[in-house]
Amino acid sequence: MIAEFETPSDLVRAAQAAYNDGWRRMDCYTPYPVEEAAEAIGFHKDRVSLLTLTGGLMGLCAMFSLETWISTLAYPLNIGGRPTYSWPAFIVPAYEWTILFAGLSAAFGMIALNGLPSLYHPLFNAPNFRTGATDDKFFLCLEALDPKYDASGTRAYLESMGPNSVVEVEY
Amino acid sequence: MAHAAHAKVLPADLSAPPFVNGWRARALMIAILFTVVAVVLAFLGGADGVEHVYRAWVVGLMLTFGFCCGGLTLLMVQYVSGGKWGLLLRRPLEAMSRTLPLIFGYWVVSALFAKHLYAWAKYSSGAEALKAGLTEGEAHAIEWKHPMLNLSTYWIVALICFAIWGFFAWQMNTLSLKREADSTVNTPQWIKRMENLSGAGILIYSLTMTAAVIYWVMSMDVTWYSSVYGLLFLVGQGYSVLALSLITVLSLSKAEPFKTILRGTEQYDLGKFTFAFVMLNMYLAFAQFLIIWSGNLPEEIPWYLNRINGHWGIICTLDFMFHWLIPFSLLLSKDIKRNKKRLIKVCQWMIFAKAFDLFWLVEPNFKDAARNLHFSWGILEYAAVPVAMTALWMAYYFTNLTTRPLVATNDPHLAEILEPEHAHA
Repeated sequence: MIAEFETPSDLVRAAQAAYNDGWRRMDCYTPYPVEEAAEAIGFHKDRVSLLTLTGGLMGLCAMFSLETWISTLAYPLNIGGRPTYSWPAFIVPAYEWTILFAGLSAAFGMIALNGLPSLYHPLFNAPNFRTGATDDKFFLCLEALDPKYDASGTRAYLESMGPNSVVEVEY
Repeated sequence: MAHAAHAKVLPADLSAPPFVNGWRARALMIAILFTVVAVVLAFLGGADGVEHVYRAWVVGLMLTFGFCCGGLTLLMVQYVSGGKWGLLLRRPLEAMSRTLPLIFGYWVVSALFAKHLYAWAKYSSGAEALKAGLTEGEAHAIEWKHPMLNLSTYWIVALICFAIWGFFAWQMNTLSLKREADSTVNTPQWIKRMENLSGAGILIYSLTMTAAVIYWVMSMDVTWYSSVYGLLFLVGQGYSVLALSLITVLSLSKAEPFKTILRGTEQYDLGKFTFAFVMLNMYLAFAQFLIIWSGNLPEEIPWYLNRINGHWGIICTLDFMFHWLIPFSLLLSKDIKRNKKRLIKVCQWMIFAKAFDLFWLVEPNFKDAARNLHFSWGILEYAAVPVAMTALWMAYYFTNLTTRPLVATNDPHLAEILEPEHAHA
């Protein structure tokens, strides 16, 4: 069951109320990130930052060890009489790889944690969702898997929050 | 609009909360206490102690100069870039920029004992320097750089710099009050006018401050030069000014009016901005090191050897950790940037780290300390003189904070900052 709201404030208020009333199987859909809506439905931490950090550290270690291996074991060269293990020269590529790996982990980690790519999502069956969710409407969805769900009761409950419309989504 | 219903209202009284006077009293007490400590240490150290007072004075000068003129520059950057964060920082930054007379006083004192700080001021010609036992390289540098490095040019350049900074500080401060008094119809013109003045100001400040730091700090080692030096100090000023601004804003948010206008979003944004400066600061410092290390030239590399050999490597490593690794790792965390108490702690640490970095830059310039880190009563002056000078400066800054309303009301961003956080993307 999905309710469409006109403003983010309405959505946040509705989401907070539903969460306080005991709803858990629920989600918010907005055209841009609304962090308060995520907080309202009990979503506090995401693991993207941890993935990014891990990726960055992996990039750092990978490049630094690669350079150390090349310069000391695989192909040692005498450059200006410096020791073959000259760490200051290794920093720049290691730094670049830190950024590259962190960036890629953040992007792909975010996509994977979002469950993408996904070929089908039932919400697109709702007539107003296709246009509104990517433009200027804010949606609160109470899912049928929640034990509190019953078709008529939930509709009345959502309508009491002053939405533009309430639609039952087929799936 | 439905969310206008729970927009916040600006309190009627916008003046600084009374506890700012308490801060000032505390700052003055610290200034007096550390002045006493500095005097005692100077007596314990004898002649060496007094020499170190002069050197530590430069650390204090650079630290407070960074707060004052760095504050002025961040104010101008804010006018050019716009953004809601600027509305929060505008009055604190103005208060920083109005401390210029004290910086001028600090500088005049350092100019009076220039002969103790700069070899080029002590010896007017290369021959004289050679006779006094300086190396041939130093004597040559003194002779060669004489048209630039002599006391008259030193005074003239600094006076021109102070006049220019004074002009911009005066303009930014008076125009801001005039804008407040004017009707809101004219605000767009005011925004344009501040923007134009600031654009020129940022450019001129970058050039003049480069000249100033070359004279005041870099020329302590008469042979050495680095083309990134001015930029390194400029970014360093951004580093310490943002830390001080965050401390100010977060501490003020315990009471009105900042309690109302400081939102989580802007606090988080300022934390990220500070993080960027932590990164850029290290980026430039390491770039300078990497280039000089790769070149390995006899006229450049001694500057680093003076600061690494003879146990200075310990200070250098600690500097790297204090100045970059610790603030970087802490500010990486979203939770710390969102937590007021912890963010204040990180910012306080950053200001300490800046002073520590200046110690590493200044002390090894001198023959007795280069490649020879050793204990003397004098070296403790670095923990006394800069603290006393900064505390006195802080007292002045807090006084300036209380003289104006803390929020600029004649600004289109004000309405946005009073809205709830989720209202805009």
